[in-house]
Amino acid sequence: MSLTPASDIVGKKPGRGLSGLLLVAIPVFLVCWMVIWPILSAIWRTVWIRNDGGTGSSFSLETYQFFFSDQYSLNNLYVTLWTTAVCAALLLLICIPIALYLRFSTGKLAAYVQGLAIFPMFVPSIILSYALIRVLGPNGTVDLLLNAVSLPKIRSPYLTPWGPVIGLVWDNIPLTVLILVSGLGSVSNQSIEAARDVGAGRIATFWYIILPRISNSILVAISFTVLGLFSAFTLPYVLGPAAPEMMGPFMQRTFRDLNDPVMAITQAVIAFGFCIVFGLFYVRSVAKNRAP
Amino acid sequence: MAVLDIKDVSKVFSTTVAVDRFNLTVGDGELVCLLGPSGSGKSTLLRMVGGFETPSAGVVAIDGEDVTRVPPEKRPTGMVFQSHALWTHMNVFKNLAFGLKLRRLPADEIKRRVDAVLELVGLGGFGHRATNQLSGGQQQRVALARSLVLEPKILLLDEPFASLDQHLRERLREEVRDIQQRLGITTLFVTHGQDEALSMADRIVVMRDGKIEQVAPPDFLYRQPQTPFVASFIGTMNLIEGVVSGGQFSRPGLKLPLPIADGPATVAVRPEALAIVKSGEPDSARIHRITDYGAHAIVDLELPDGFRLKATVPDAREWSGVQAATLAPRAFAAYRENVVAYRS
Amino acid sequence: MARLLVEKRTDWVGIGFAAVLSIIIVFPLLVVFTWSVTNVWRYPSVIPQEFGLRFWQATLARADVWSSITMSLTLATVVTLLSALICLPAAYAFARLDFPGRSILFFSFLAGHAFPKFGLLVAIAAIFLQLNLIGTFWGVVLIQLVGTLLFMIWIPVAAFQSVDRRMEEAARDVGASPARVFWSITLPQAGPTIAAAVLLSFVGTFYETEGAWLIGAPQIRTMPVLMISFINNQPVIQYGAVLSVLLWIPSFVALLFARRVISSGSFARGFGA
Repeated sequence: MSLTPASDIVGKKPGRGLSGLLLVAIPVFLVCWMVIWPILSAIWRTVWIRNDGGTGSSFSLETYQFFFSDQYSLNNLYVTLWTTAVCAALLLLICIPIALYLRFSTGKLAAYVQGLAIFPMFVPSIILSYALIRVLGPNGTVDLLLNAVSLPKIRSPYLTPWGPVIGLVWDNIPLTVLILVSGLGSVSNQSIEAARDVGAGRIATFWYIILPRISNSILVAISFTVLGLFSAFTLPYVLGPAAPEMMGPFMQRTFRDLNDPVMAITQAVIAFGFCIVFGLFYVRSVAKNRAP
Repeated sequence: MAVLDIKDVSKVFSTTVAVDRFNLTVGDGELVCLLGPSGSGKSTLLRMVGGFETPSAGVVAIDGEDVTRVPPEKRPTGMVFQSHALWTHMNVFKNLAFGLKLRRLPADEIKRRVDAVLELVGLGGFGHRATNQLSGGQQQRVALARSLVLEPKILLLDEPFASLDQHLRERLREEVRDIQQRLGITTLFVTHGQDEALSMADRIVVMRDGKIEQVAPPDFLYRQPQTPFVASFIGTMNLIEGVVSGGQFSRPGLKLPLPIADGPATVAVRPEALAIVKSGEPDSARIHRITDYGAHAIVDLELPDGFRLKATVPDAREWSGVQAATLAPRAFAAYRENVVAYRS
Repeated sequence: MARLLVEKRTDWVGIGFAAVLSIIIVFPLLVVFTWSVTNVWRYPSVIPQEFGLRFWQATLARADVWSSITMSLTLATVVTLLSALICLPAAYAFARLDFPGRSILFFSFLAGHAFPKFGLLVAIAAIFLQLNLIGTFWGVVLIQLVGTLLFMIWIPVAAFQSVDRRMEEAARDVGASPARVFWSITLPQAGPTIAAAVLLSFVGTFYETEGAWLIGAPQIRTMPVLMISFINNQPVIQYGAVLSVLLWIPSFVALLFARRVISSGSFARGFGA
């Protein structure tokens, strides 16, 4: 099939450029005003602080100095990093086997497993929080069942750092599975059969053939997790402990309850800083896949 | 009277010249094939006639009226696309009726015309079918019907059979030719298949790099190609480069009397016009392989310098075990600087 | 040999996954559903003492529930309509027109997704504070509108691009004007995918919690925001359970419609996989 080169340029007339720009103007303006400008403004406002007397402004890193010298803030940052690392590890541990199974299986059972793995995408995190409290919380269903077979109660993860971990892993399973399955789709059956043919076992095939091919997908999945966890609010707010708290609830409390927007955006900029590598990687891999 | 008149038309895309000062007139009821390899500009030319491209220079006139800058919806042309481009969200009837509805024809008139055209392309009663319920050949017939139902002055076909298999292609080729002749509709047909062009066209335009190589009826094109490109593009042709000196063309393994001025020349011989004679001489052509087709056989020959030629012989058995042969062309042409210098 | 080919091996791995996932994914939701149809369930009984719809009536009689439902539906409708109004023409332009800066503008919509969303919300909130948009309906509309842009542009762009150009040209050829081609050919062809994008944007907005909480609360109280306050302050468990079930309805509708879109794989590619 040959597509004439012309078909890409059909209807190209002077003046089209302007109408195109006009059609995209409003969404682009919104992105500039509500994404780019707030980020630049946040950085600007946290390094260019108004003097105490209100007489002028000067360059200062005092809000950052405060954050990194304040034990409470550091604990919050630490618990966020800890949650991120644990969630990323758990997600890969859970989702890679599921994705592998889905890639190499067909039939009703595989369809059922896939449906279940994707299902949490259709459960809003607020409902999930509530459900987990009912199941794992004090006097929850797990306690009921343990009690019924005369076992002692569990130490409930509710209101401990493990609460958000469970919720966030649950919530992130669908996207991680989808990303990994999509990545595994690029591993051809023949390349695996060829590896088995030259004598590679299951483990060796996975390690030397499959893993290198899906490393990019794994990185995308990790990027997603990192970006998602640094901005997670609902699950840690509802399921997590009051202190230390994750960055999401911390920012929210600083902004609304402590009424300190400058400190809140300082925390936001610090969160940006920790995610910048993952954000850029994500944008790059999406851009590579998608040309306008 | 010329229905279509293309005068000095050029089309330049950002870096490439797709069509270069092209001239062609097509008479009433004539079927003209644009034939050339991909990238020769034939599709671009067709799209300029249809109004999908605007020429960079030159004039396209239909029935004497300049339509160079007229958009496709206002042109009396009907185009059949390579991928049929049927509207999959409409059934067959609606596909055909769409253009008629735009012309605000009464419903019973639309029905009458759609039914008549469906009958014409052999799909009577298929109106209610969804387009994806049709086979590839049926889809292409619907696409043809969609163009015909508007009774265009010029029918444009852009490699309409390219996505079909060989057998179906041959059948549709005949059907389209029959319909075209019955309706007497002026047709411009783009293809890169020489069989298609030779079997359908009144005249063939051979294109290369946006320019015309030759315009001629099929038989003429085969027998009297004007350039080595046409000679090699239509049918099989041995193109032998060599040097003329003192009225003699020579190349290791081949000597021919060629009464033209001294200098380099290309001799073109069809395999069926290349007679060969068994020989024991060391300077003759070596027989490389014989392929038996039953009714005839093709002998692959290799000149002493490694150049390969093909010759047709009536019976393969006569040549079994033969090692070498001398060449004796019965008819040939010679080209110099891309034009015919001699024809025997 | 022949027997081996016919014989079906029991898929123990699959059964294992199915069982574990069933428990982990389905069980918590089942518990919530059970609570919503329970009148009395006292510890330590494993099953409720009394089933019934008493708390459905009680929940639906609450004014704050109804006002949050109305607020959520109004917000989601306004945001989705506005988003469709500004994004679909833009998507068409990205798909079909050529203009300076097309690529960079197209990818600019990723910017919002390259940063932790909540940090971005805080940065926006700081600006809204100066504009007095905190606690207003339109402040929440704006912040949720930004959240829909990527979906509502990227998915329709793909939809428009997948419409065969020759279909459009064929329509021009039979006499349709460019506007008519868009209306009769391009839009119906791209329609199902665009509908999916609109649905996703509606559902996404409906469940958007962080922005509504940060910008809108306490004046603008959507269903998820009300749910948070139920979790924090409501001792009667069933209220939360009933609200959860109510809250899940739009997602269930989306689930029915979006199944095909998501399993096709193009969805995951949209996330850069």
